[in-house]
Amino acid sequence: MDIALQIPRNALIWTLVAVVAVMLPQVTRMPSWVIFIAAMCVAWRLLIYAGKLDFPGRLLRTGLVIFTLILTMTQIRNIGVGLDSAASLLALGFVFKLIEMRYKRDIYIVISLCFVMTLVIFLYSQSALTTLYVGLTVTIIISAMIALNRSGIVNDNRGTAMLAARMVLQAIPLTVVLFMVFPRIAPLWAVPLPSGGGMTGVSDEMSPGDLAMLGRSADLAFRAQFEGDSAPGHEDLYWRGLVLDNYDGFTWSRTRSNSAFDNAMDTADFRFRWEGRVETSGEPVNYNIILEPTRQPWVFGLHLAEPASRNLNQTRNFEMFNSGLITQRISYDVTSYMENQTDLILLSYARRRSLQLPEGGNEQSRQFAEQLRASVASDMDYANAVLAHFRTNEFFYSLNPPLLGDNRVDDFLFNTQEGFCEHYASTFAFLMRAAGIPTRVVVGYHGAEYNRFENYMMVYQYNAHAWNEIWIEGQGWVRMDPTGAVSPDRIRLGVEAALRNDPAFMDQSLFSAARLGGINWLNNLRLRLDAIEYEWNRRVVNYDEDVQIEIFEQFFGDVTERKVLIVLFVMAAIAIGGVGLTIINLRPTHHRTQADKLYFKVSKELARIGLARNKGEGPLSYRDRVVAQRPELKNEMDTFVGHYLALTYQSKSGGEGSRSELATLRSAALQLRRRLPPLRRFGIRAG
Amino acid sequence: MLFVLASILIFIAAINYAVSLAFGLAFLMIAVFILSILYAFNNLNQLKLEGLASPPVYCGEAAGFKVLISRMADRRHESLELVFPDGATTHADLVSLDQQEVTVFVPTTRRGEFKAPRLRITTFYPLGLCRAWSVVDLNLQCLVYPKPITFVMNEFNSGSSGNDDAAISKEGSEDFYGLREYVVGDPMRQVAWKNVARGQGMQVKQFVDYVDDRLWLDWDMFYGFSTEERLSRLCYCVLQLSRANKPYGLRIPGITIPPASGVGQRNKILRQLALFEGGA
Repeated sequence: MDIALQIPRNALIWTLVAVVAVMLPQVTRMPSWVIFIAAMCVAWRLLIYAGKLDFPGRLLRTGLVIFTLILTMTQIRNIGVGLDSAASLLALGFVFKLIEMRYKRDIYIVISLCFVMTLVIFLYSQSALTTLYVGLTVTIIISAMIALNRSGIVNDNRGTAMLAARMVLQAIPLTVVLFMVFPRIAPLWAVPLPSGGGMTGVSDEMSPGDLAMLGRSADLAFRAQFEGDSAPGHEDLYWRGLVLDNYDGFTWSRTRSNSAFDNAMDTADFRFRWEGRVETSGEPVNYNIILEPTRQPWVFGLHLAEPASRNLNQTRNFEMFNSGLITQRISYDVTSYMENQTDLILLSYARRRSLQLPEGGNEQSRQFAEQLRASVASDMDYANAVLAHFRTNEFFYSLNPPLLGDNRVDDFLFNTQEGFCEHYASTFAFLMRAAGIPTRVVVGYHGAEYNRFENYMMVYQYNAHAWNEIWIEGQGWVRMDPTGAVSPDRIRLGVEAALRNDPAFMDQSLFSAARLGGINWLNNLRLRLDAIEYEWNRRVVNYDEDVQIEIFEQFFGDVTERKVLIVLFVMAAIAIGGVGLTIINLRPTHHRTQADKLYFKVSKELARIGLARNKGEGPLSYRDRVVAQRPELKNEMDTFVGHYLALTYQSKSGGEGSRSELATLRSAALQLRRRLPPLRRFGIRAG
Repeated sequence: MLFVLASILIFIAAINYAVSLAFGLAFLMIAVFILSILYAFNNLNQLKLEGLASPPVYCGEAAGFKVLISRMADRRHESLELVFPDGATTHADLVSLDQQEVTVFVPTTRRGEFKAPRLRITTFYPLGLCRAWSVVDLNLQCLVYPKPITFVMNEFNSGSSGNDDAAISKEGSEDFYGLREYVVGDPMRQVAWKNVARGQGMQVKQFVDYVDDRLWLDWDMFYGFSTEERLSRLCYCVLQLSRANKPYGLRIPGITIPPASGVGQRNKILRQLALFEGGA
């Protein structure tokens, strides 16, 4: 076997490290048997390396392929064709190649597959941390490539790693240029990405306990950044999600349209009547939201929110929907009207929907509602009276309320009097509807944590909230938050403050705002890390065709094909040229000490009298040759060469010479040159 | 090639899944690829090659040309491959030493002064993705001796001692000795044409050399062989005699080297054999 085709042993180890590095992030996602086989293959290859095992025979290889095919078929039957199964298959082929790689050619295949596997990492996560990890992985893979091309004698793993890291760092400028300028192409065919297993968040059904479940989670729901200083105060941060107007006595749900026709009618109805249905006053608030994947289509916005991004549209109840399920982080722009009135005229079907209650049950509450309504003059007074009832009686705000009986509203209102926001919103809506006031439940988030490092807000799952909107003649839909009556802190300071002493609050998360809130520097660190993640998402992950065109127009005006090409080439050339200068040595790097310079100068002058220094001639033999031909120079030549040798080879300063040593040498040179005929037209320059 | 293929694959996946960072990964790979070109170039950049004197070889052997590779201070050159066309590749690294002598082999096909073809120095370092190379003419030369051909040398090993004037003869070219009948294959030059004209039939002049204990390696010792074959046999004789440390001289057309012994004599004679032009 030709030695040139063999895999250097260092390269093999680097490759195995690279394989482990690219597989590591997949460990939790892949079926355990794939991980098991992968570990076996790496171990096997290590044993071959150690000389304890041989390469697998033909029979075994065929067996492995058939085995994999069968396993893959069953897996595809179980979980379907998708990225997960494709990634598993790729990983299997990849690790099998590992145990049969013998030559350099094989290792190049493995290395290329390593790169493809890093792509798979990005398909699942694009966070800043993942990117750092991928950077490290790419460095390891490149180290493997370098080790492969170094001769086996050079055993310098540190040098290999350093060179790889240097190459990756030097590649960054060009990468950034290509990333920013290279025209993005629209997907050739649409492929749905798997979601990163994120939280569903607020859903279109609300049963008791649903929001309390979210209250235990410190996962991020979304981040919002306001233009300028227009961010509203905490008590105004009602992130409206869905309107639930259907009640079956247990669950509030969104009225779903039965047909595509209804949906189309909804949209058309809305578009047609927007101006008639909405009255706004005051300055609109513009902001951007980056929503974590939910696998749901709806998105959130403050109050009456009008989407400014293309893929969003609005429904009749002023909810916002994305055109597809949100399986990746998305970023959208919204304009909100903080002061607004909607639906001053309530259409009869909407009124009917907003008054609907189950036939019977909860008689005590219905009675309570009728009596209370009769005792006050207006609907608004009645609503305030109900809020006052919550406030003045012993109602508690808790994540762990006791279970409720069959007549849930009665039980809650007159018996347990302890609940989370959904209990209050649900009860309030019931009491309103029972008194003939059109009411609906709104679910979304309330509050946010402000990140002062990058000036944006972080909204967590525990910010999930439910409140009500009641319809009042002359005012349209009016927001009512019964939770605020029970726990003013919840609205004023946030859920963290209101539930500080509730052990169930965020008990699923170890590190969270509330837990770390007490330790100042840890909290700062957490906020800072999130700020990095936010900026990363906003600027890098969400960099798409639209942003690209926007930035391009900002700098270079209209986008034309020619201009894009020119900008791309010029910037790439600058990047390559700039980095290239750090790679390629253009100047001779031959370093000459002061003493050397003097020595060469003298020998040049000796060359004028026909005593040029021969190539490779040492100082001593040169001296002897000069003295042999010009005995009158003996003293000067001896002194000069003696000083030169002493300075270059015996000096403690390692050839550079101290100041006094150099001065001695200089004067010796001068003495010697004085003895030479004055050949220069302008005389001899000293020193 | 696979590397480029992988980056294209990643690029297509980036388009289809609309994953921003996958674009970044593909672009990073392309950037690394471009940089590897610069690195490969720089691996040869400022490398100094010098041809050194190369020892003579016998024809048919591979001539080993000595090349001195030297680097500037603070530079490293790794995984260099030096090769002549049709020759074997020599690997070299300049990592710890400032200069290094490597031998690059190329097969020889004919005797004489062999001027080396241009040397190609190649490197795939650091990533093996692209090749940097340079073709240099180092003006390398080496002497190719004739290929020695073995034969049994008893003829002139025996009885070579004796008194000076005793004309121990053997067929040679120096002095006329007599005539003999023509045998097919004898050179026309030696036919005694005068006798033919007298009607005495084809006769051939015979010459002899007077041999003393100082051996003469004579062109006509291998009478009937072609020039190259003669030279090859002479070469073998030289090697054998030199090994036996006997004095010997050379007599070939145009060149006469008096007998002597020692390495100097051997090299002198082999050189003449290598450079011999003309012939019978």
